[in-house]
Amino acid sequence: MTTDKPKKSVSWLKSIEGRRAIGIIITFALLVPLGVAFVLPFIVMVSTALKPLKQVFAFPPTLIPETVQWQNFPDGWYGYGYVDFTTCTWNSLKITINNIIGNLVSCTLAAYAFARLKARGKNFFFAIVLATMLLPNEALVVPQYVLFSRFGWLDTHLPLMVPPWFGWPFFIFLLRQFFLTIPEELIDAAKIDGAGHARILLQIFIPLSKPALATLAIFAFIGNWNNFFGPLLYLRTPNVQTLPVCLVQYQGAYGNTEWHLMMAVATITVIPVLLIFIFGQRYFVEGIATSGVKG
Amino acid sequence: MSTKQLSRRNFLKLAAASSTGAVVGYLGPLSNIASAQDTVELTFGRHWEAAFRPRQAEYDEGFMERHPDIKISITYNTWADHNNVVPAWAAAGTLPDVIYVHGSRATPWAHEGIIIDIHDIVVADEEFNVDGMWEESVRLYRVNGRIHALPYDHGPIILGYNKDMFDAAGMDYPSEDWTMEDMAAAAIELTDADMGVWGWDGRLDLGNGGGGFFTGAWGGVHMNEDETAMTMDTPEVRAALNHWYNLTHVEGAGASGTEMEAFPNSQPFRAGVAAMGHIATWSTPSMRALANFEWDVAPTPMGPDGSRYTGAFGSGYGITPTSDKPDTAWTYLREYLSLDGMIFMWSLSGRGSPARPEGLEVWLNSDPAPPSGRYFLEAMFDYAVTGPPFQSLAAAQVSNILTREADLLRLGETTVDDAIAAITEEGNAALDSVADM
Amino acid sequence: MFRRIMRPISPSARREERIFYLFILPWLIGLILFNAGPVFGMLGLSFTDWRISLDDLQFIGLDNYSKLFADPIFWTSVGNTLYIVVGRVVFGVSFALLLAILLNQKVPGIAFFRAVYYLPTVTAGVAVALVWIWIFNPRLGILNHTLKQIGITGPPWIHSSTWVKPSLILMSMFSVGPIMIILLAGLQGVPKELYESAEIDGAGNWAKFRNVTLPMLSPVLFFVIIISVVSSFQNFTEIRVMTEGGPGESSNVMIWYLWKHAFIFLNLGVAAAVAWIMFVILMALTGLQFRLGRRWVYYEGEAR
Repeated sequence: MTTDKPKKSVSWLKSIEGRRAIGIIITFALLVPLGVAFVLPFIVMVSTALKPLKQVFAFPPTLIPETVQWQNFPDGWYGYGYVDFTTCTWNSLKITINNIIGNLVSCTLAAYAFARLKARGKNFFFAIVLATMLLPNEALVVPQYVLFSRFGWLDTHLPLMVPPWFGWPFFIFLLRQFFLTIPEELIDAAKIDGAGHARILLQIFIPLSKPALATLAIFAFIGNWNNFFGPLLYLRTPNVQTLPVCLVQYQGAYGNTEWHLMMAVATITVIPVLLIFIFGQRYFVEGIATSGVKG
Repeated sequence: MSTKQLSRRNFLKLAAASSTGAVVGYLGPLSNIASAQDTVELTFGRHWEAAFRPRQAEYDEGFMERHPDIKISITYNTWADHNNVVPAWAAAGTLPDVIYVHGSRATPWAHEGIIIDIHDIVVADEEFNVDGMWEESVRLYRVNGRIHALPYDHGPIILGYNKDMFDAAGMDYPSEDWTMEDMAAAAIELTDADMGVWGWDGRLDLGNGGGGFFTGAWGGVHMNEDETAMTMDTPEVRAALNHWYNLTHVEGAGASGTEMEAFPNSQPFRAGVAAMGHIATWSTPSMRALANFEWDVAPTPMGPDGSRYTGAFGSGYGITPTSDKPDTAWTYLREYLSLDGMIFMWSLSGRGSPARPEGLEVWLNSDPAPPSGRYFLEAMFDYAVTGPPFQSLAAAQVSNILTREADLLRLGETTVDDAIAAITEEGNAALDSVADM
Repeated sequence: MFRRIMRPISPSARREERIFYLFILPWLIGLILFNAGPVFGMLGLSFTDWRISLDDLQFIGLDNYSKLFADPIFWTSVGNTLYIVVGRVVFGVSFALLLAILLNQKVPGIAFFRAVYYLPTVTAGVAVALVWIWIFNPRLGILNHTLKQIGITGPPWIHSSTWVKPSLILMSMFSVGPIMIILLAGLQGVPKELYESAEIDGAGNWAKFRNVTLPMLSPVLFFVIIISVVSSFQNFTEIRVMTEGGPGESSNVMIWYLWKHAFIFLNLGVAAAVAWIMFVILMALTGLQFRLGRRWVYYEGEAR
């Protein structure tokens, strides 16, 4: 293949470059304006975090604060001495990391089985995987709460941290779809080399599915980091609470919400997440492009 | 190559972090158990936002000093979440001893056994003096004639106005002898479409409390006494709704539903672009925190025949059936909801409308109370009535219909006649469906 | 590989079957431990007069279901749901695919853009309500302000029975982040060699997209469509934060109808019945998609 390249004529190369330049222009023309819209929620959040409360609802609304109130950040984090954001953040971090690992392990195994192993009853069980995604969570809130209360798990992190080790239908389905795109020849070759399924999974599927696994990790991160209703229900003592639940503690009845403090804390906690994304995306997005399917 | 090593190292770090996390998770709850031995733990489900917790903590510390055998622990949810969490708690039998009860929830929660009948304890406790509470407030929690919870706050809804805007227009402030017609005339005069200011806030609330303000002055009554039928298909209610509808959609003196949504919290009055709005005691702290202008209150304007009427509503506390120590719970509530307790918690803090008139009197000197705050007190004594629906098991459905039709009226998407017809038909159907429960 | 026919299976096939069950065992245990109880509980409870307390429940047969079918608002909510689901899936998936393709381009600064497009996904939750007031606000919102610049008087968006559903669909386009990420991962998985050989064959951009990208992406696209349908049915946050089903009943979708019956009207039995109706509809739709999927989804390594 590489020997073909020098043969190409100069004009041919030029036309590719020309095409590429047009492509770049179109890409930017679309990405920039849409990007502005996508950044807006973040900007509103940061701008609110910098305003005094009276300016949050000032009319007409402004994006740039008239007076910048940096004090919102320490005040917000302090939580009147009754909301412990440091503890909440650690709790969220602990649960989130545990759940990402749990999901990665359990879902990879199940997805491999559903994608690549032959067994009687496979279709039946896969239908159940799908079916469990289809029942609305809002309807299961109360029965699930009753169940965990019978387990004696209330006010502990167990209802949040144990189930992820037992698979998550959405992720199993996601990984199965990715695993189905990996060419059969690779497996055949490995089988000829005498590899078992554990080795095929570890040495072929996992390295080739880095973008998919990273996607799963990101979803697990977002889902768990933002999970609100679960912790709200299962946890009661302040020192076991998680970040989303702590954040809404600034929300009061009858318009008494301290938006500026809430957004200040939200900003503080979003920034590390953003950094992980910015530095992580290069790794996860380019995972397969560089390692390729060259085997 | 290097990325691979990095990822492995990261992975190990993550693994280590998560395993310690899991261990901590296991040990956490265990270490909590040891402390409660000689003391009785009293658990609460409350809704205060962070800013008000230091006050609550101060009160509770004082209480625990007076009662060294009682230890207080609180689960806080937001006001909105509390009502979603309590049903789940109830289904699993994990309710705390004492819970916050919004006035509109008292009847369904009593019916579902989420709060217990405390009538006998309350009435027997002479020192507590339940009769010293505003009758309109206790009424909310009387289910089948028996007290199931007790109010901490209860407030009437009266007229609020932006002094700066009246001053700028060179007009007199709303007076005690204003009728709804006077109010509308002033609103029309104060409206300046070019400047984007309205004379009237534009809200229209037909549910608990608000209904009294918007239709009561005309003699409109939304439901019959025992809340088994809607009674809104009357000339009085029609006249009242036409008044508000015309003020907004014909005169353009009130923000329409669409325009109103331009404001966070949907309140042009609070945002300083409407000269008048309706205001309750409980919303004065947020007015104080957010309003960038001088404001005050006036009595609810009178109706065409010179009668005055408004709505009122509030919240309270109840004891749950899961509690194995209702007596301890009462030890707390009888102090917390006593005049002294109310003054400490809600009058001096300025937080809002204590359900005891003397408490409200003390509140008048607090920071959030407006200069003419005594009009709240006057309304409480003279003409405010707790607004339906709150006694029917279908109260939530009826409220939902009322809110929906009020929204459509504000948006100009329905007519007064159609709204009344829909409310009557659907409201009665909802009430009939619970007739035999 | 030989085709397996239904007959006593070979020892190697039996071993593979054992490995299959070993691999799905964690999921299976979790299913029984955490899901089976609540799910079957809900099915049972939908035939009772359950309000809150689980004691003294009355079996009332199909009453909850017949009550639902007789409620015109329920049917409105079914209609609203289908409207919004179709809109969200059609526009959301195409928009996400467009974004994923753009973000998959090798242009300078693409890493920055990718981060930008993840932003709403990361900041989801807290800032949402304030932001949409900013955007959809009929008088001051950025949307109508922009339209005014080009001489169009913008509609009242979510504050109008006519516009609320299109607005919700438009709003959902900003939360395509997760779908976009999946598609982007899918695009990254298309082997470069395929594009290179297509280029050698003289294929243009469209031909490459049609003959290389789409087939290679189809399993992921299939997943994305199914997930979009499911999540559009179950999407609740925007309705709760932005419209609460209004104006009137014009954005009352099934999940909001369910929530209202469960947590506002305290009719959990009715809510359970709604959940099961949603489940049946989704089951039928998903089954249909799997059937249709056989025609257009191309599995590179499918064991046939």
